[in-house]
Amino acid sequence: MLITQEFTVKVDDEIVLDNINLDFEPGIHIIMGPNGVGKSTFAHAIMGNPKYQTEGTVEFFGKDLLAMETWERSRAGLFMSFQQPTPISGLSNFQFIKQATYSHTEKQNISALLKNYKEHANNLHLEDEWDKKQLNVEASGGEKKKNELIQMLMLNPRCAILDEPDSGLDVDALQSLTEVIEDFARDDKIVIIVSHYENLIKRLNVDTVTVLGKDKTVRGDVSLAYKVLEEGFKNVE
Amino acid sequence: MTDLNSIQENKYTAGFETITDSESFEPGLSEDIVKKLSALKNEPEWVTEFRLKAFAHLQTIKEPTWANVNYNPIDYQALSYYSAPKYRNKEDIPQEILDTFEKLGVPLHERDSLLGIENKDENIIPTVAVDAVFDSVSIATTFQEELKKQGIIFCSISEAIQEHSELVKEYLGSVIPSKDNYFACLNSAVFTDGTFCYIPKGVKCPMELNTYFRINARNTGQFERTLIIADADSYVSYLEGCTAPAYDENTLHAAVVELVAHDRAEIKYSTVQNWYPGDENGVGGVLNFVTKRGLCKGESSKISWTQVETGSAVTWKYPSCILRGDNSVGEFYSVAVTKGKQQADTGTKMLHVGKNTKSTIISKGISFGDSSNTYRGQVRIGKTATNSRNYTQCDSLMLDNSKALTIPVVSQYNNSSIVEHEASAGKLSEEALFYLQSRGLDEENAVNCVVNGFCKDVFQKLPLEFAAEANKLLSVTLEGAVG
Repeated sequence: MLITQEFTVKVDDEIVLDNINLDFEPGIHIIMGPNGVGKSTFAHAIMGNPKYQTEGTVEFFGKDLLAMETWERSRAGLFMSFQQPTPISGLSNFQFIKQATYSHTEKQNISALLKNYKEHANNLHLEDEWDKKQLNVEASGGEKKKNELIQMLMLNPRCAILDEPDSGLDVDALQSLTEVIEDFARDDKIVIIVSHYENLIKRLNVDTVTVLGKDKTVRGDVSLAYKVLEEGFKNVE
Repeated sequence: MTDLNSIQENKYTAGFETITDSESFEPGLSEDIVKKLSALKNEPEWVTEFRLKAFAHLQTIKEPTWANVNYNPIDYQALSYYSAPKYRNKEDIPQEILDTFEKLGVPLHERDSLLGIENKDENIIPTVAVDAVFDSVSIATTFQEELKKQGIIFCSISEAIQEHSELVKEYLGSVIPSKDNYFACLNSAVFTDGTFCYIPKGVKCPMELNTYFRINARNTGQFERTLIIADADSYVSYLEGCTAPAYDENTLHAAVVELVAHDRAEIKYSTVQNWYPGDENGVGGVLNFVTKRGLCKGESSKISWTQVETGSAVTWKYPSCILRGDNSVGEFYSVAVTKGKQQADTGTKMLHVGKNTKSTIISKGISFGDSSNTYRGQVRIGKTATNSRNYTQCDSLMLDNSKALTIPVVSQYNNSSIVEHEASAGKLSEEALFYLQSRGLDEENAVNCVVNGFCKDVFQKLPLEFAAEANKLLSVTLEGAVG
């Protein structure tokens, strides 16, 4: 369970998100909203980006999330895929995933870890030597998105917030993405997806749709998403 | 996330002092001291002459002041110019000194390979031979006999002066003349010990040659002298490591290293420098004023310098190459990390003389805290150096209030050569740290990943055995640097 109560997010004393009260049960959840309303901010603030100041409470499976450092949130089972993953030169994908998994669990057998990694990369149709590539350096937009998914699968979080995981993906890649998400969510996980693409939404078994607005937040089922997609945000607000 | 502004905690693990009986000269620098030193070492007359000429010249010159560093004036008369532990012969080395090297992880027994595996199988070739220098003397040199079978000479410079006088005479001061600069001149007058290597024609040295320098005595200067000769078609990979106790006073280390590569010979010289950097307030630490230069004398010869510099309060060091032979190659790969109040002014000179000569410079400066980190480079492509090339890349990564400065000087005297220069300077990005932390890496580990990635091009150039060590050293250096 992820529950936000009176959750307010500021940047340099300016309020970006005001008094957000939401709860997320295991299942697939969509967050929509007009540009600039703070959808990405929501994801980053939940993950603990130091750029944002937060107020209120966020409860994550009984834990006080806002009191935790970013890496503690990750180790507690929270994951966020970035809209624009940061390039780190000189650090290979596998070195990184090794560091990340070791920080979560006891050291695992490295060849088993590599095998597992390569399987995921293969399933997502990434090139053979993907594990040796530098993290988010010289990768296409779609490849970066897939790379975020591999990290999610490797770390196996209880809750994944995916910030526009579908932008930059071609039709085939979109199909792989939905399969990965459906498969992942089946295992009693919380998946929160920031997206407003019909192509993704219609392929998923969506449990809730939340529309973040300037003045209020509206929650509904998947029909809310279709309403927005047809009529725009104004009728929802 | 915690803020990135505090740096200070010192985690210098090599800062212990060894208590041992030693004999030292009274402080002071004079002609008599130079003579006394030469006499004590029972040197042939030409060496005494070499020293005295340097000493005479020293009286006429001053310390250089152009470097971007500040330190209290050095009182040369307050320093002792010789300190050596007391023992009669090599079988009699005091336990505390053996323990010191043991503690530092330097294998002094031939049965120890670097990996600590007992080596009884004669077919297994050990990977590293060590010359261990403690203050002013060489304590032990391993695998000398083994190397001798192939004609390789690997011994202390003192021993070489006794046993291979003609060879030393031919090369000593041939790359770095005594008059080169103040510290080289001082070294030429009072050098104590260091390493001598000679690789004969056509021989590929089967192991890494390693000198480990340990400063222990207080108020004693260390003036090491190293000379490496690679004869035609030979190859050698050499590594030096260094540490010193954490004393409140500055310790002067003024070394001279000369390399000569003949036709088609290759010398790979790697340094992992971890001298005591001083405490968080800038008290104490080693003044590392070092002159290192390699001469690519023969055609198609190659010299590469790789350095990982994490220590010293003040570093003044420019390992250089003179590319005299046609088609010769010079390389300089450097990672210099400064934190706290450390100051580094380091870089290289590539002097192209021969035709079709090539040089590559990759310098990575990382600065934390209040430190300052200057890259100073000179590339000179002379008239005769037609069709030559240089590629220079200088990157700096900064954190806190640190300063990074890049001073590249390029002069080109012919039209057929190409010089390329790339530079970047950047702050360690919060965005990158957040990304890594969002996957569970704590802050220290995240910084480590970014910094290690930044240094990767250089670390790859280190011999395998030492790349791991350099990585470890970097991690220890970064520990507490952010937080």
